[in-house]
Amino acid sequence: MELNHRRLNRVDLIEVVGRVDAATAPQLKQLIESIFADGRYRIVLDLSRLEYISSPGLRVLIEARKKAREWKLTDLEGGDVRIANLPPRIKEVFDLTGFSSLFEIYGDTVEAVGSF
Amino acid sequence: MAIPSKPSDHFNTTTTPGAPASGSTIAMDSITLTADLDALAKISAFITAAAERCGLDERATWQVQLAVDEAVTNVIQHAYDPDQPGDLTLSWQCRDHRFIITVRDHGRQFDPAAVPEPDITSPLEERQVGGLGIYLITRLMDEVRFEFSPQGGNLLTMVKYLPHDQPDPPDEVVVIPIADRIDAQTAPRLAKQASEQIAKGARQIVLDLSNVPFLSSSGLRALLLIRKELMTLGGELRLAALQPQVHEVFAITGFTQVFNIHPSVAEARAAFSQRR
Repeated sequence: MELNHRRLNRVDLIEVVGRVDAATAPQLKQLIESIFADGRYRIVLDLSRLEYISSPGLRVLIEARKKAREWKLTDLEGGDVRIANLPPRIKEVFDLTGFSSLFEIYGDTVEAVGSF
Repeated sequence: MAIPSKPSDHFNTTTTPGAPASGSTIAMDSITLTADLDALAKISAFITAAAERCGLDERATWQVQLAVDEAVTNVIQHAYDPDQPGDLTLSWQCRDHRFIITVRDHGRQFDPAAVPEPDITSPLEERQVGGLGIYLITRLMDEVRFEFSPQGGNLLTMVKYLPHDQPDPPDEVVVIPIADRIDAQTAPRLAKQASEQIAKGARQIVLDLSNVPFLSSSGLRALLLIRKELMTLGGELRLAALQPQVHEVFAITGFTQVFNIHPSVAEARAAFSQRR
């Protein structure tokens, strides 16, 4: 797994590449937590090059979104973890596990970043 | 299945050489490793290669890969203490259109009933973060069985059905009655009719020619093509109840030596069962 992190003005963009399984999920969790620790709670995960995800990775995603949404700027604006570019295989896992309705999913990163 | 007494990377291969490992051909293999996170990538590569050998398509291969990964992750995280990992043996075999995978460990007893099924419709706030592994395994595989014995430890068996279009039962005789002359005009229809039966799995076909008054050279060619298609698939074509003038066409052209020709449909049918 490879993580490419870019800090934009309002949003942190993480490109997740390769395999997220029990061995690699802790690194993703650590990166997300370090972003939260900087007081930043708006994250876009670009999954266009994600090849594989198993339940430990899904767990990181769900925990991250729960945590991010606890942070609120106003009633309308706050933290979130949103997803851009869901490859077909990954979408299948999302559909099987009900994750498709748990996340806001966008067709590309520009749209996902712009949604904040 | 032999379990090595000490965990180590260890391969066991029993395979049938030559023919691809699908259908009723039996192929199998196993790998034993230490149940730690380093095992995941190795097991993924191992099972992906096995699934391809068994003839699983890309999507089924991916589903098996994910199910096995979830099973192995469970063993790594729950069967043993993280600082004292034990062994794990993954075996596969492919037979009778089934890809069968077993995962064995000698750690703590696993009770699937103790893992509540996740409610995948619950909203984010109420959504539980665990329990997805077992759920995914049961959704991705066609059969899943957990067993435990004090001697053998935990044994998880997972089965994925291979797609197959063999006739069921495979040795049924299909009789196609033909009610018209067989010439350049009608031959394509006959060819299509036979192809449809073959596509449905028919391998033993009898053409009932009792109502065929005329056979042209184009008709003969169509029959040869049907015969060839069946033979390629391990099947056989028989012709039954030829009228005298049609039989003469076969006799003149020497094709009585090529085709199996029978006086009646019943005798053609019987010829199939005698061959067995």
